[in-house]
Amino acid sequence: MTTKSIDLSLEIWRQKDSRTTGVFESYQLKSISADMSFLEMLDVLNEKLTREGLDPVAFDHDCREGICGMCGAVVNGIAHGPEPETTLCQLHMRHFCNGDTIVIEPFRSRAFPIRKDLIVDRSALDRIIQAGGYISVNTGGAPDGNAIPIPSATAELAMDAAACIGCGACVASCPNGAAMLFTGAKISQLSLLPQGRPERKERAMAMVSAMDKEGFGNCTNERECEAVCPKGISIRNIARMNREFVKASFFG
Amino acid sequence: MQLKSNVPEGPLAEKWDKHRFSTKLVNPANRRKYKVIVVGTGLAGASAAATLAEQGYEVSSFCIQDSPRRAHSIAAQGGINAAKNYQNDGDSIQRLFYDTIKGGDFRSREANVYRLAQVSNNIIDQCVAQGVPFAREYGGTLANRSFGGAQVSRTFYARGQTGQQLLFGAYSALSRQIKSGKVTMHTRQEMMELVLVDGQARGIVTRDIISGEIASYSADAVILATGGYGNAYFLSTNAMASNVTAAWRAHRMGAGFANPSFVQIHPTCIPVHGSYQSKLTLMSESLRNDGRVWVPKKPGDTRKPGSIPEEERDYYLENKYPSFGNLVPRDVASRNAKEQCDAGKGVGSTQLAVYLDFAEAIRRDGEATILKKYGNLFQMYEKITDSNPLHEPMMIYPAVHYTMGGLWVDYNLMTTIPGLFAIGECNFSDHGANRLGASALMQGLADGYFIIANCIADYFGSTNPDKVSSTLPQFVDARKKCQDRIQKLLRGSKNGPQGKLTVDDIHKELGILLWDHCGMARNKEGLEKALAKLPALQEKFWKDVYIPGKGKELNQSLERAGRLADFLEFAEIIIRDALAREESCGCHLREESQTEENEAKRDDVNYSHVSVWEYQGDGQEPVLHKEELTFENVTPSQRSYK
Amino acid sequence: MWFVSFVKSSIGKKWIMALSGSFLTLFLCSHAAGNATLFSSISLFQAYADQLHSHPLIISVFSKGLTLTFAVHVVTGSLLFLQNRKARNQRYKVKTRAISNSQASSTMIYSGLFILLFIVIHTSVVSFGDHGKIGVTISEMFRSFFVSMFYIIAFIGLAIHLSHGFWSMLQTFGVNHPSYNSLISRLTYIVPLFFLLIFGTIPLLFLFGMVS
Repeated sequence: MTTKSIDLSLEIWRQKDSRTTGVFESYQLKSISADMSFLEMLDVLNEKLTREGLDPVAFDHDCREGICGMCGAVVNGIAHGPEPETTLCQLHMRHFCNGDTIVIEPFRSRAFPIRKDLIVDRSALDRIIQAGGYISVNTGGAPDGNAIPIPSATAELAMDAAACIGCGACVASCPNGAAMLFTGAKISQLSLLPQGRPERKERAMAMVSAMDKEGFGNCTNERECEAVCPKGISIRNIARMNREFVKASFFG
Repeated sequence: MQLKSNVPEGPLAEKWDKHRFSTKLVNPANRRKYKVIVVGTGLAGASAAATLAEQGYEVSSFCIQDSPRRAHSIAAQGGINAAKNYQNDGDSIQRLFYDTIKGGDFRSREANVYRLAQVSNNIIDQCVAQGVPFAREYGGTLANRSFGGAQVSRTFYARGQTGQQLLFGAYSALSRQIKSGKVTMHTRQEMMELVLVDGQARGIVTRDIISGEIASYSADAVILATGGYGNAYFLSTNAMASNVTAAWRAHRMGAGFANPSFVQIHPTCIPVHGSYQSKLTLMSESLRNDGRVWVPKKPGDTRKPGSIPEEERDYYLENKYPSFGNLVPRDVASRNAKEQCDAGKGVGSTQLAVYLDFAEAIRRDGEATILKKYGNLFQMYEKITDSNPLHEPMMIYPAVHYTMGGLWVDYNLMTTIPGLFAIGECNFSDHGANRLGASALMQGLADGYFIIANCIADYFGSTNPDKVSSTLPQFVDARKKCQDRIQKLLRGSKNGPQGKLTVDDIHKELGILLWDHCGMARNKEGLEKALAKLPALQEKFWKDVYIPGKGKELNQSLERAGRLADFLEFAEIIIRDALAREESCGCHLREESQTEENEAKRDDVNYSHVSVWEYQGDGQEPVLHKEELTFENVTPSQRSYK
Repeated sequence: MWFVSFVKSSIGKKWIMALSGSFLTLFLCSHAAGNATLFSSISLFQAYADQLHSHPLIISVFSKGLTLTFAVHVVTGSLLFLQNRKARNQRYKVKTRAISNSQASSTMIYSGLFILLFIVIHTSVVSFGDHGKIGVTISEMFRSFFVSMFYIIAFIGLAIHLSHGFWSMLQTFGVNHPSYNSLISRLTYIVPLFFLLIFGTIPLLFLFGMVS
């Protein structure tokens, strides 16, 4: 393990609440251990700000092991920072150099209103799921788990799509603020599995229409979403959603 | 406090069926008249809210995160147990029951554990139907892996993200009910208080994390699914927001708290790097199958691991436990690692780590084989620590992981407060003094999908509660209590931070106090010392902590301060419970209770009970009650790993 | 009406872009084939033009259809551009991209508008000129260095537009499979280069006086 430490200049978006407009503030941090995670670096900053009587930076975080999807910010222009397939909590300071200036901005999209500093409201993603991101089975009465054989490869493909943590980095990085990767991943997962087939048409129609209603942009195949996705979800899922939606529209 | 377990009569295997037949039901048309509050949206909470709504109840669901999909169940990696016996290797409900009760070192209720094993199979079917992409064999059937504490292969998994996928299943069921209007979802709400009317749980008070508004909600029953309290130790594998507040507030209102000192400490976590460390990351225990645990023989040896010759290394697990070696159970491995570090032999920059060395396994099996088995774990380790386990030994250290203790519940999952239920990790019921791998997910979903709805129906059917509204004085008082408490928290911060401490400063101090004296190995002297130190720490918190900002705004420091205030109160019963239990069992070693070979010695004569603590008021000593455990179907046996 | 809601949806609009784009690409194929007669001689090209214009019905149907398709492509594309700008109402301070090679995709609206400008000029000179003397018109036109350069730059713009457009069209149609993705990624270079080669060579031939 390294014990290197670095000094940093930070420029962080500070916004009091949804109603006020925000500004960038600059902060200096000295002797940041390279073994720290990005969020621990922010913790150190917040402890410092608190001791100085200043308002600490509000940011979302929870599991800090890259799975809950709560954390996220745009670091030097890239959602979740420079490391591929890494959430902000799993990004370590060793990927930065002494003297670096780091610009930290919230995920920006019309559908993600900023609540405070780096905290945004991503409930639009939940509403997309509520529109149809499920298989309509009640608890009880499910057939035996082995009743429908599912090819291992299909289960793996479904799992690739199901790995989405709903962090919203795809929306934040998309030049159009589109939520196609998020929506496509869920539609894909459920349309690949035989259990999800009966509702596939209704699901595709309902989820796409919910997505449009939330004010997300349209996909122009820029592939930024795939590049920043911490779980490496492929835009192949968007292609699959396109097929599902067109099939449902024309032959629904 | 009356502790009536309400375990039904009859043979073990028939208890649940008989019980379901004998309990009251609510007619489907009448269910919409009943309101249920579910706090928490992890596996237990989300599955309970969805299931109750499907059956027709009006459900209000609350979560602390911005979405119900983020509850900490999501972080479970390994898998979920079920007695399907798909592998034809001799598994059965009886065996899953036995393994679980034995794994818990005979400190759980037979009837509850048996029921858990019974419904385990339904969970798998339910999750498959929901579209959970479990791993499959090439023939298309469900795949299984084996896990610690069992000799059969019964663990179902979805890569290393089983918890995530099961949670998404429950979240999708919940989302469907939100869409249908049967569940009203309240996100970014923290439960601050439980409201009782005529001794029954009738509502909660919450603080809106975004606006800081205090609001109350009324219902006919309240279900707590708020997880465990591992964060009392500051550093744990729990998520940052995991806390004891909901359970503790319920305890203060009269809910008994069972076995608070039963805290599981996981041996293979990535060690602490520095004082800034905010949480610990778990790595699969399977690493110990091929890794050899060692420390330098000489205390304070700072040489690189590669330059320490073989004869100057202490493979302490292999030496001490020749037959099990590096594969001793979690608690033994954890305890010994701490012992070595306390003796000054710890390695790494903080000297709080031991080596887990794969060099011999690589020599024996080749790099490719080892990478095939542990590639993703090695990657994860390297991502965090920047060191490649192929070239230098991993460093590991134990970390607080799961809390078996929780709110005491009877067979109907109801606490000692009528109308207040606790499910999932929040209750104490099924894991005794130690939880087996892949059993937490099973218990959360069993409670939520298959058990709680029957209990709720029975409660409504037999009590027929009157309607209440949140304009009642009890609700007004509870809201006021919360507001006063927030004012009290902020009171000391008016004059700025000079000479003050931050919330984390004090939380770290509490963490160290508990870790040092109430961790894997405890003794009377240490526990008494910790108990004596606690009031001063509490006083320091209320006097010296500085919280920036106001109450009616998004204020993360205030959130943490509120949780810490409850951890500080709660710590007292962790320590008292550890002090009262003068035996070694499950996860912990009581140093006074050891065999001649320095192994944990359980004392079934004096401690075959659940310790339940009753709150007596601020500054009053809590009262200990006991629920005796009787074993009619299994014979408690002593463990030995020599 | 399902069709209206399809057209109004995000994926529907993308689909219209892809469908109109694929029609326009087919038109480019036929246009390229016709223009390729210039590699032989101006008179052959003139003969091809005469032959084409001897079927006014076909010309009328095709030109109207083409105009309509083109208009749909331009209008929908502009609409998407405006909607997408609104969806991302705040820009980032640091503007970087996580993927390299994003120039073609991020400039679709600009390359598209440039092609629109080119087509307005091109059609007003060539399509609405005298078909009987088209061979003469273009040979005179391409003698000018600046006109030729303008055409070549426009063809480069078209190639850039196509390099993203062609792949994007397939993705929108849902054609994305590991077995074919390497072929598709090769085609994203081959297709635009093919058109650039055919269309771009013609002004060069005139410029260097190599057309018989």
